This record gives sequence, structure tokens and C-alpha cells, in this order.
Amino acid sequence: MSVTELKERHLAATQTVNSLRQQLNQKRLLLLDTDVAGYSRAQNKLPVTFTPTDLVCCRTLQGHSGKVYSLDWTPEKNRIVSASQDGRLIVWNALTSQKTHAIKLPCPWVMTCAFSPSGQSVACGGLDSICSIFNLNSSMDKDGNVPVSRMLSGHKGYVSSCQYVPDEDTHLITSSGDHTCILWDITTGLRTSVFGGEFQSGHTADVLSVSINGSNSRLFVSGSCDATARLWDTRVASRAVRTFYGHEGDVSSVKYFPDGNRFGTGSEDGTCRLFDIRTGHQLQVYNQPNSDSDFAQVTSIAFSVSGRLLFAGYANGDCYVWDTLLAQVVLNLGSLHNSHEGRISCLGLSADGSALCTGSWDSNLKIWAFGGHRKMT
Amino acid sequence: MESDDSEQMRSVVPDTRGKHRILAELKRLEQEARFLQEELDQLEKLEKASAACNELLSIVETRPDPLLPLTKGPTNPTWDRWFEGSPDPSGCRCWIL
Repeated sequence: MSVTELKERHLAATQTVNSLRQQLNQKRLLLLDTDVAGYSRAQNKLPVTFTPTDLVCCRTLQGHSGKVYSLDWTPEKNRIVSASQDGRLIVWNALTSQKTHAIKLPCPWVMTCAFSPSGQSVACGGLDSICSIFNLNSSMDKDGNVPVSRMLSGHKGYVSSCQYVPDEDTHLITSSGDHTCILWDITTGLRTSVFGGEFQSGHTADVLSVSINGSNSRLFVSGSCDATARLWDTRVASRAVRTFYGHEGDVSSVKYFPDGNRFGTGSEDGTCRLFDIRTGHQLQVYNQPNSDSDFAQVTSIAFSVSGRLLFAGYANGDCYVWDTLLAQVVLNLGSLHNSHEGRISCLGLSADGSALCTGSWDSNLKIWAFGGHRKMT
Repeated sequence: MESDDSEQMRSVVPDTRGKHRILAELKRLEQEARFLQEELDQLEKLEKASAACNELLSIVETRPDPLLPLTKGPTNPTWDRWFEGSPDPSGCRCWIL
């Protein structure tokens, strides 16, 4: 077949794909008979209401000398690892505010960090395209630094996000500016699987975030600058199980919903969305109030342990607490006393859900907890 | 001359690098079309969004949540550990860097 003929077939195939996508979108719209907020209102759900002193900042963790870019809690209760523009990881006991480790990184341009399930190791990655592992129990080297115990190299672009596979200190998943995600075997340092990439069906732009299913660790979702989120099964690296459309800008943050059957996204388009995994439906859009004129990009999201609250950090320093069922903002942590003085770049819930940690470009981390009167249903 | 011979070779052997790339991209598009058609067929049997919303509501209300003012029990006393003792609210100022 000549190049000309091939190009004609390529054009025809592109038109077929576009037409099929359009048909899919139209059929999906017909199935969206309601969204979560409409359904919840019809069921007369009562809104979540906080008094001004219910959610309070009860710790400020100071120690970084640059913007905080990423944080992660341990699965056991109280420790946090954070990564900063100052080229360091700090491990904190959030309850006592004490720092237990300050790790000077070989490459200072770090973008992400993660705690291993056992709490014995931390991982980080960034512009060096490498994911580095540090064993917190190892002896310091002659310069007083924690040595790198493993370097996972293979990405052809920056490492934007990393997460350990739950209950396994030996595997983690990274996302990258090279359009792929990789499942790594830390013991050997080798890639177990590459998701997407040049010769496979996957993201068509930088991947910014991953979230692994807590109850079925074979499944994970990724968010990308191609404005989609994708669901992957680690047994099938050649193509995503499903692609989720809807956002109109980079998907900067993805997080599984606590039940594992839905996930949330945050985007440069200023919205958060909730998607259903089994059906692929977009169940809810969370539009910022007064978003017609000026909206801030979403930088990071997290759900409370029941899923009733969605925490979303924004580039303008706001941190909205959304009632996920009624799609209303019930609190803005960014406007509270003692809040951050800059963009909230990362946030995460403690394992038992009793505290939220936020990290900011003001170089601090803050711990928020419920200090009000709790009533039971 | 050697350089003349190699120039003659280049004019005889067609440059197929572009063709292989287009072929690979074409195969990827045809596969994508098959996947999309599969998804379209599955939509015929798919339940509406209201079913997923119903499931979501029941899930959210079954789990105790430490950050909610009104939540299902049981509560756990360790949820309030953040307010025990008297930590300096401005945080630890030890500089170990």
C-alpha cells in the first residue's frame, strides 16, 4: 500500500473514531437522568452544616524553607512525609509536630512523595524522571544524609505522582510527563508494566496523578493533561479499561471514593467531578461559586472516610469543603483563622479520617480536625 | 566514488520510516474504533445515573466519619487525640535542618 493510500485510510479511521466518540457522548447524556445533587434533594437529604469553630487548624508544621508540593500519611495513624521546593523530604509526627527525618534529595526538583504501607520507607520523584526510595531505618551516610536505597529509572519524563500499592512495600505506581504510568517492582528496580505510551492505547499528554483502589489494588485511575481520567487494570497494560471524559482542562488530581466504585477528579478547569467506575457516568460536577468570571484551578482533592465531604485545594489559596451529596460548599478552610497564606498544593486524610493535612506554597503544613460537638444518627 | 554510490543507493531504496509510523498509528486508530464500538454496544444495557446515585447515598450514610458534625456511630475516642495535651498551635520550631 502506498503512503498516499495509507494516509487516506488514516484520515478515514480518524473520522470513524471521532464519530463513534460523538455517538457515545450523546448516548451517555441520555442516560444521565439526574446527578447526585438532584437525586439527594429529591430524597430530602439534610445539608452538612458546620459552626465556625467545628473544623479547626490544630497544628502548623513548620520546617520547610520552600513551597510544599506533596504530602502523604502513613497507614498507621500519625506520621506524614512531605516534599518541598527546598529539595528535602521531611517526615513528621503530626501529633507531636516533631520532625523525625529530614532527607536531602540528590535531585532537588521533587514533585511527589509517598509513604510505604509499613511506614518504613518513603518514595519521591520529580524532574529527574526517577523515583527514589529511602529506607527510614537505614544509617546515615558520612554527610549525615539518609542514603537512597533504590532508584527506579525508566520514565522518559518527570515523575508527577507516586503511590505504593496498598499492603505491599514492594510495588508502587508512578505517573509521568512521558504520558505513561508504570508499575514497579522495588525489590528488583524493574518495571513490571507500562500503561500507555507510544505503542499502546493510553493518555495522549502528561499524566499528573494516580490513585490506587484501596480494596482492589489491581485497579487504579490516572488523570492527565489530555483532560481525561482513565481506569487501568494492572493485568492489562495495553489499554485502559475505561476513559472518562468531561473536564475541559488538565486533570491535576484523581482520588478514589472510599467505596472503591467511584472516583473524584480535580482540574485546571476549576471544577471537581465525581465519576462512577462501573457505568462510566459522570455523576456530579462541583462548580466553584461565582465561577462565571474567574475561577481558580483545582490543585488537589481528597474525600473524608464516609465520602460525604470532598476537600479541594485551589491555586488561589481556597480550600473548599464540599458536601458531595448536595454539591454545596459548606466551608472554606482558606478563609478560617490561622489558614495558609498561599496556594494549597496538596492535601490528604489521615488513615482513620480524623484529620486533614494541607500543604502549601507558604512552606507550611497544617492539620485540621473536628473540634466541635459531635452528634450521632 | 563512494559518496556517489551511497547517493545512488539512497535514491533506489525508498524511505519507509514515515510509512511504518503511519501504519502503526492506523492500526492504533482501528483498534480504538473497535473499543469504542464495544463500549457503544454495552451502553444499550447500561443502567441510568439515578441507580448509581441511589447506591452512593446508601454507602455514604453507613460509615462513621470523624469530620462530620452528625455521623453514624460508633465513634472512637482516638478521633479527638488532636485536641489532647497542649501542643503549641504554631507548631514545633525545632530546626533539625
